[in-house]
Formats: sequence, structure tokens, C-alpha cells
Amino acid sequence: MSLHKNCSFLVLIAINIYALVSSDAVNFGASDTADRLRQTPSLSPAVVNSPVVFKPVSDSSLSLLASLPEDLEINDYCSDLLLIFGQRYVAYVNCLVRAARPVMVCQNCSAGYSSLLDMYTNISSDQVGPGNVSCRDSLLRSDRLMLVFQLYNNLKNLWDSSGCKNCIAAGLQSPTNDTLYFMATLHQTTSCFDKYQHGNHTELCKNCKNTYKDLNELYSRMEKNQTLCIDIEDAMNMTRKEWSKKFNCSFPREETVPVIAVSSFMLFLPIIFYLSSFLHSEQKKRKLIHPKRAKSYTSLMNIQDKQS
Amino acid sequence: MANITKKVSWSSRADESGAAGEGTPLLNGSEQPRHSRQESQRGRPKEIPHNEKLLSLKYESLDYDNIENQLFLEEERKMSYMGFRCLEISRWVVCGLIGFLTGLIACFIDIVVEQLAGIKYQVVKENIEKFTEVGGLSISLLLWAVLNSAIVMLGAIIVAFFEPIAAGSGIPQIKCYLNGIKIPRVVRLKTLVVKVGGVICSVVGGLAVGKEGPMIHSGAVVAAGVSQGRSTSLKRDFKIFEYFRRDTEKRDFVSAGAAAGVSAAFGAPVGGVLFSLEEGASFWNQMLTWRIFFASMISTFTLNFFLSIYHNKPGELSNPGLINFGRFQGDSVAYNLYEIPLFIAMGAIGGLLGALFNVLNYWLTIFRIRYVHRPCLQVMEAMLVAAVTATVSFTMIYFSNDCQPLGPEHTEEYPLQLFCADGEYNSMATAFFNTPERSVRSLFHNQPGTYNPLTLGLFTLTYFFLACWTYGLAVSAGVFIPSLLIGAAWGRLCGILLATITPDGSIWADPGKYALIGAAAQLGGIVRMTLSLTVIMVEATGNVTYGLPIMLVLMTAKIVGDYFVEGLYDIHIKLQSVPFLHWEAPATSHWLTAREVMSSPVTCLNRIEKVGTIVDTLSNTSTNHNGFPVVVKVSGSDEPPKLCGLILRSQLIVLLKHKVFVELARSRLTQRKLQLKDFRDAYPRFPPIQSIHVSQDERECMMDLTEFMNATPYTVPQETSLPRVFKLFRALGLRHLVVVDDENRVRVCVSVYSCMSLMITFLSLNAMMMMMTAVVLTSHFWFVTLLQVVGLVTRKDLARYHLGKHGLEELQLAQT
Repeated sequence: MSLHKNCSFLVLIAINIYALVSSDAVNFGASDTADRLRQTPSLSPAVVNSPVVFKPVSDSSLSLLASLPEDLEINDYCSDLLLIFGQRYVAYVNCLVRAARPVMVCQNCSAGYSSLLDMYTNISSDQVGPGNVSCRDSLLRSDRLMLVFQLYNNLKNLWDSSGCKNCIAAGLQSPTNDTLYFMATLHQTTSCFDKYQHGNHTELCKNCKNTYKDLNELYSRMEKNQTLCIDIEDAMNMTRKEWSKKFNCSFPREETVPVIAVSSFMLFLPIIFYLSSFLHSEQKKRKLIHPKRAKSYTSLMNIQDKQS
Repeated sequence: MANITKKVSWSSRADESGAAGEGTPLLNGSEQPRHSRQESQRGRPKEIPHNEKLLSLKYESLDYDNIENQLFLEEERKMSYMGFRCLEISRWVVCGLIGFLTGLIACFIDIVVEQLAGIKYQVVKENIEKFTEVGGLSISLLLWAVLNSAIVMLGAIIVAFFEPIAAGSGIPQIKCYLNGIKIPRVVRLKTLVVKVGGVICSVVGGLAVGKEGPMIHSGAVVAAGVSQGRSTSLKRDFKIFEYFRRDTEKRDFVSAGAAAGVSAAFGAPVGGVLFSLEEGASFWNQMLTWRIFFASMISTFTLNFFLSIYHNKPGELSNPGLINFGRFQGDSVAYNLYEIPLFIAMGAIGGLLGALFNVLNYWLTIFRIRYVHRPCLQVMEAMLVAAVTATVSFTMIYFSNDCQPLGPEHTEEYPLQLFCADGEYNSMATAFFNTPERSVRSLFHNQPGTYNPLTLGLFTLTYFFLACWTYGLAVSAGVFIPSLLIGAAWGRLCGILLATITPDGSIWADPGKYALIGAAAQLGGIVRMTLSLTVIMVEATGNVTYGLPIMLVLMTAKIVGDYFVEGLYDIHIKLQSVPFLHWEAPATSHWLTAREVMSSPVTCLNRIEKVGTIVDTLSNTSTNHNGFPVVVKVSGSDEPPKLCGLILRSQLIVLLKHKVFVELARSRLTQRKLQLKDFRDAYPRFPPIQSIHVSQDERECMMDLTEFMNATPYTVPQETSLPRVFKLFRALGLRHLVVVDDENRVRVCVSVYSCMSLMITFLSLNAMMMMMTAVVLTSHFWFVTLLQVVGLVTRKDLARYHLGKHGLEELQLAQT
């Protein structure tokens, strides 16, 4: 804090700087802004203590904050970060919604997630920004709601459970080769389905069997390698459903008679076993032993009489 | 006649003309007309088919009461205070070792079963997948059946041919051991090896069995072995823990081993302690409890530790038992007050089903004892059961239409698709095509909607009969897991049905919760354990909140089940003709006295007896007695001899072996005095009398029993009531109780205080203290007199009486 006060004489200079920074901030990517700000570290602390400069940027609903002590107000560097975060957030969510069905979130929206992640990393890094305040404290954990954190966390959970990491190449810009290959194979299968679906389904089952089988094998290979993501899983799921439910190509239950025959033979064996052991096996007999007992029945008779 | 007592004969095909349904009064049986008719047939011993109302002669008692002869007292007196402290420490060490080894064995069984079962299911699964496509599934069925039979055959062969005592769960045998009955070969190393191998084979072989019951037996064998510091089978003597080589000490360790076994099996250390308490509670003290708890904890910790290494997470101690019910989390644990009546109703169903299970198994076991007694037949039977189990499972899976989508977490270890759509699996297969304990876990924890009601119903039905058929085969296997599985299946069914009949049912009827309650009810209905089972279930689920419902359920199950038939273990103990003493004497037995119960006349030995007489007495096969009252003739009178001690067969045999004859002692002055160590070295396998050679000259020698006999045996007058005698046996762990004549004898009847001086002159301090306790405990009077022996009560005499459906019944002694 004392540092801030010492620096307050720089306010006038700061006005100029602010004009430069704020006009650019919205247009530049987050990383660019950060770089810029990092390049001018000596100047940035001044921004913090200038309420005059702060006001135009902030929303009108924040007017309540105006009455608060200066130190508690949000650094406008941070508010810029917040703004960019919001824009990217909206962009990503938009992309997600459009790719919800059939699921294409990994292929279409990974780039969006990547930029959102960059922004969030910026916010949450403990690097001290201009004004010697880390945005992590002011944006992420200064209130109970922790809105920014929660918003990000929701998307992160989505990302994690989608498993997109497995099928998007490092840098999160393009799908991996495996994914592309799978998509190609999938396309073969679906085009085969399209070709035959108007005719007899048995025809389809017969003709597309090979490509479908290849696809299935590829899928189970990928499953073992753990290179699956929701896009692939969903596509496979849909294809399987088409194959089994729509075209009815699952294996039919054909061998009921042999199975019943074999199992009834098996079930018949114990009956024979028990019958034969009952008839042929020699029954185990026990020899009774008569214990030596005192011969005093008279007294016992008395007792029994008493009982009755 | 309110209390008609009958000797109920079991009727059978072969014996129908004889005694079918006919009852003869117990006490005056010989005066019945039927008896006189049989009198003419006497000459050869009467033979009857095996039934539950027999007592076998082959079982002997254990000496849970120390034999206080002079040798023993001398040794005890020689021991310093430090000596006793060292003993105490070595007891703790032994308990730690027991826990450690039991945990290791559990770990071994678990890993081997998982690996082998994994291979088997993988092979069968691949085969089924292959034949689903190209046709010929009946070949898969045959493969599965043959694989199962082959593995089970291996297990059955080692059990039936090498160690039949290792069959079954072993819990009845350990129960008998703790009760004080010496079951031959029950705690030997060979039994342990066969048990472990057998249980692996039977679980991998896909029988409807669990590996938890045998763990208790294994723990007990480990305990009996470790505490003795030697192995007679391996002929190794480590010369340690020699003090523990007697029944009293061994029993304490065996109860610790049983507790460690339970603890390793279920991850329930407290449950283990309570199990030992429930089964052997008549001999109990606080220090022992604490030691047993120590053994249990070590055992579960060891299992934990080694399993964590096996699962590549060393140090993570979250695999507490062989069966892991998994954790019930979140909403599924919640239950409400209005659910309690539902739980109790489920308990009643469990009791009914349990009773049905027990009755069916009872008939089956009788049939097996009578007709399937040859080892090769037993092996064949086990193989057939294995094949049929596989067949039934396969048929169920084949005809099941219940397809479920594969879950994201892949909880199903070996999902079978068969005729389901791609990406789905056969729901019946998760229940059948899996080791039973995995099935239990998936029944507890799978999402609602994983099983449809028809699948569960069919599964319950088939598994019930399979499990019932399997228990009692000549394979080592437990009944815990199958019971849990049956219960979990119908419990889950209840949960699903409850959810469907109520409009907002989905809120409170979590099927997993009902599966747990059903499992508890079914298990309680079959084995009828109370306290320990509650604690085991609570500990295995790791959830104390379920304590109340589980307790209520087990209580109800026991009450309902006991109305029909006894618990499964008790039935099997009875069918083995074991002289088992229950907690208390049978009700309505108060009018029986020691006079009617005792064996009489008794074979007595003189204090200084001729060797020839002793050898003849011991060799007499018709009277296979183990305890002989020692009497002394009152010099210069024609009165009958007076009691002065009691000596055991095993002691006499050791004496004969070492040729402790009066004449030899005189001639060879340097001869070493026989010590307690010589008795310990012979323990516990005393040679039979036939193996001891006594020459004609030696037969004329004399033997002085004074030093070796128990000079202060417990005695009771003839008029003592049966419950009182029973209490003595149960509380003190007696083996023989001498019944003495109290008529026409000079009887010095003195009060506690006035007899003190008298006793001090006669008796050692130790014996006096004991007597004082006895005096205080039993009455205020002590009979100081030399008494005449009139009879001898043994465990078999007491165990003969039991409460049947028609009042007090008497069991018959038989040679088996």
C-alpha cells in the first residue's frame, strides 16, 4: 500500500498511458495485452490509484464502488482481463451449443477452449500486474460467489468429461491423426449405409459388414489406447445404433435347439448320478453303542411321575 | 404328560419295518415291549442309517481345564514374576504373527483367484464372441462346463482324497473346536494347504461359493500352528513357545486366529473379535479380547498393505477385506423412519428363505452322508455341480433379453454382448458371468435401472437352488457370499418393485440400499449369527448409519428362521454327530440329575497300579475311555476304594512310553525324572496304545500315578441337577466330572472359615486358592472327605440331551 501512495504523484502521466492501453486492450488478444503490460512495468502501478480514469471503463452498476476506499476498487487492468474473458467465454459456449448434437465439440470448439484457457491462466497467475495487484485475488477469490472461478470451472468440467484432450493435438488447434483416420473410416461406413438403406436391410448387413467391422475394430483399438473423446464415442454410438436397431444387423438367436439339447443333457446327468448312487451305493449304517448307565429306574420313574 | 421325553428314531426306507415313527420314552426305554422284542436280536450291535440324532464316538474333548498335577504345580512355582511377564509378551508376539500370516494367506487367495478367474473368463468370453458370430454356441457352453468341472475336480480331489475335514466352510469345525471338541486333524498344516488350494479351485471353478468362510478356518490353523512353535507335519521343532503346548493356551490363540480370519475376509476387525466372542464366549477375559483385537487389526492391515502393492498403489490402505462391499455414498445411505417396517418385513422374508435353504440343505446332506460317501463319488458330484452351474448360467444368459448400455466407468469386468445391440451388454451376464463377490458389488452399487426385475427374479431363483445344492459338497467353500448374493438380488428386486408401485418412489427406493438389506436378511436367515454378523455387515459397508436397520433385519430373520429350523452351521454340526454343548442346558432338563446322566460303573485305576492292568484297560476297544478316576484303597477295611485323583489316557500313554515303573526307578537310580516337557513334546498327537510295546516282564511292574494324576478333580454329588453340571462343563471347559457317592459316608461339612486351617495342612497354596474360589462361587460349604466314585460325566453324556420338537430328546451313541 505504501508503495501505491509513493507512486501517486505519477497520476498525470498515467492518464496518458491509460488512454493508450484501454483503447488497445479490447482489440488485442489477451496474451498480447499481457505482453504489452509486462513491457511497461514501471508505469502500470500508477493506474491503480486513479478513480477518474477508472470510471469510464466500469459499468454504471458499479457506482456503489465509487464510495468505497480507493484500495478496494478493481484494477482496470484486471477489469480488462475480465472483459476479454467474458467475450471468449461467450464465444466458446456458443460454439458448444451449436456442436451439441451430433456431438462435435472437440473438433469444432477446441480452439475456443484453448483461448479461454489462456485468458484464465492469465487471470489466475500470481504474477503481479500493473498497480502491483494480482488479478487472481481481486477477480477470483474476493467474494463468496467466486463467479469467474465457477464459470470457468463449469466449462473445465465439461472439457474434462468430454475427453477432448485425447483426440485433439497438442496446442488444441486441430484433431490428431488418429481422430482424422477414424472420421474417414466412419465416413466410409455411413456412406455405405446411405447407399444401401433404401433397399433390403439384409443386403445392407451383408455389404457394409466389412467396413462396419473395420470401424468397430478401430474403435476398440482406440479404446484400449485411451484416445477416445466424446465426438468419436458419440459417432460410434450412433453408427452402432443404426446398425443394430435401425437396420437390425445384430446376430440372431439361431441355435436355440442345440443349446437346449446340450443343457438338458447336462441337467440330466445329476439325476442319473443321484439315482444310481441311491440304488447302487451301499447305505452307510451306524453301529449303535449302548452306554453304561446306572440301573436305578425306580427313582427315575418317580421323577417322571412327578412331572406328569 | 407335559414333558414327554422321547427317543425319536428317524424313519427311513431300509428301517421302515423297525422303528418308523415309533417313539419310546426316554427313561424307561428298556421296559418297553418293543425293546424286549429287540432283546432277542441282540448279540450283534444294532445298525441304523445315519441321522441327526446320533453322537459319534470319534470326537473327544479338549482339556480346557489345566491338569493340575504335581509336575504342573512344581513348574508353575518355579517360574518367576519375570517369567510370567515374558510369557505375556510372547503371547502378544504370537498374536501379531497370527494376524500377519492370516493376512498374507488372504492376500494370496485373493490374488490367485483374481488372476485365474480372469484367465478363465477371458477364454470363455473370447470363445463366446467367436461363436456368436459364426454359430455353434453350444460348443462354448461345453467349453465353459468342461473348464469349470476340470478346475473343480482338482479342488474336490485334494479335499476328498487327502483331507476331507477341509470340506465346507470350516466355520462349524472351528465352532466345535472353540466349544471344546477335538475334531481330528482340524488344525493341521495339511488341512490349511488343502483348504487354500481347494477354495481357490472352487471359486475359480465358478461354483456358487465364496472364499470368506474358509478364511476363518485358515486363520485358526495358522494360529494353532504358530502358537506351538513347531510343525509335526514338517517334523520341525523351533523350540519356542513350549509353554503354549496345551489345549488351554492353544484355544486362546485359535480364537485369535478365527478373529483374524474374519477380519481379513470382511475387513471387519471388530466383527472378528465379536465372532470369536460369540462362538467361544464361555472362556473369555478382557486381556484376551484386547490381544485378539490386536491380531485382527494386524491381519486386516497386512491384507491391506499387500493388496495395495498388488494394485500398484503402495501405501494406500483402502482394500480392507477380501470382500469389499464398496462404499455407500451420498443419497443412497439415507433411510427414513417409515422404511424401518419395510426393512423388518424384508428380514422376515430373509428368515423364511433362509429356513427353506436350510431344510433343503439338511435333506441333501443326509442323502450325501448316506449314499455319496465314497471319495470318488464325491468328486464326481462336485464336477457335476460345476458343470450344471455353468450350464444353467449359460442358458440364463442365452435366453435373457435384458440388454443394458455399457456404462462409462466399465464396472462390468467381462461384459458379454451375445445378441444384444452393439454397445450394449447382456445384463444377466453381469450377474452370472463373474465371480460371486463382484456380482454382489454390482448389485449393491450399479445405477438404478441396470437390472430389470425379470432378470433379478430368475437369478435369485436359480442361484438359490445352486447355492443350496453346492453347500456340503466335498470342496472347501463358504456360504457367506452366495447368501449375500441371493439376498442382494431379491433385495434389489424389492427396491425396484417399491419404486414402481409408489408414484414418487424414485426418491426413497434406491435399489442398492434394498440390496444391502436383502443381503443381510438372507445371510442372517441362513447362518443365524447375531451380534458379530451385524458388526461385520456394518464394517464391511463402512457405514455406521446402517447399524440399526441391519440389526433389526438380522433379529427378525433369526426369530422367523428359528421358528422353523436351526441355523445352517448348527444343522451341519448335528449331522456330524458332534457332542456340541450349547449356551445353556436344554430347558425342562431340571429334573435330570447327575445320577441319570453319568456313565456307570466307571473303570478306576489304583494309585499304584499294575502296568498290565493299565495296558489292558487302555487297549480295550469297547470302552474307549479317556479319563480314569484314580482311587486308593482304605487300608484295613473292606469299604470301597476312595477317590484321590483323575488321570487321562494321554498321560498314561506317555508314562508307558517312558516306562515310568516303580521297579525300574528303584534299579536305576540315575533315571531322569519325567517332566512336564515330556508330556508337551508328545502333545497333541499322542500315539495309540497299540504302538507302545510292553513286554511280559514289564506287565508285572507297578506304576505310581501320584505325581501325574490331577489330584484335585472336580466332583459333584449324585443329586446335582443336569443344568448345574452343564454349567460347570460350559464355564470351566471341563472334560471329565467325577460323580461321587454322598450316602453312608462320613462327610465333614465345614464353613469357609473353619476349613481354612484344615486345608492349609493338606493342600498346596495354589490348590487352596482354587478351592476357595470354588467355595465362594458354588456354595458356602466344602466337603472334605475321601469320596467313593460312582460315575463319570463326560461331554458326550451331556450333549446327548437336546430339546427337540417333542420335548427333551436323547441322542444315541454310534460308531462312525
